[in-house]
Amino acid sequence: MQTRRAIASFLLLAALPVSLVIPARSQNAEQVAKTTLKVGDHAPDFTLLSDQWKTVKLSDFRGKKNVFLAVYVLAFTGG
Amino acid sequence: MDSPAANAAFAKQIDIKFPLLSDMNKKMLKDYGILKGYDVQSESYQWARRANIVIDKEGIIQHIEEDESAVNPNNALSVCVDLHKKQTAK
Repeated sequence: MQTRRAIASFLLLAALPVSLVIPARSQNAEQVAKTTLKVGDHAPDFTLLSDQWKTVKLSDFRGKKNVFLAVYVLAFTGG
Repeated sequence: MDSPAANAAFAKQIDIKFPLLSDMNKKMLKDYGILKGYDVQSESYQWARRANIVIDKEGIIQHIEEDESAVNPNNALSVCVDLHKKQTAK
């Protein structure tokens, strides 16, 4: 585990369905934005707030560390 | 989206050592195409989809998994290990 910790900066994006309500067009429709990103593409830069209230930018790791980004849904729920 | 405060409580609860990030305005999720929208009754909801993404030191995507295939992080971890081996061999 020590090596794994050393090689990759592990970032976890926790997402809860506290929803943003926007005007609806149709009922029970599902829109999945399939990612257009693929292996070999440049990862879009992002600036996000960590649990320590620090700004974390993808570009901060450029030339320094590989990044493992895990998008995790329903992280902090009882169910 | 979980707020930084909720993430801090979660990080403490399960004792994790890496940053937990919040995408409160969903910009990153939109940029990466991992936001899913539902229209239920007359209201719309947006949730993130599960994903594992490995980005190398040069900012290039080396691995990407979405939805059910992203539940198990082992594939992405082995990509990290291989990447590290390649980089240290140079």
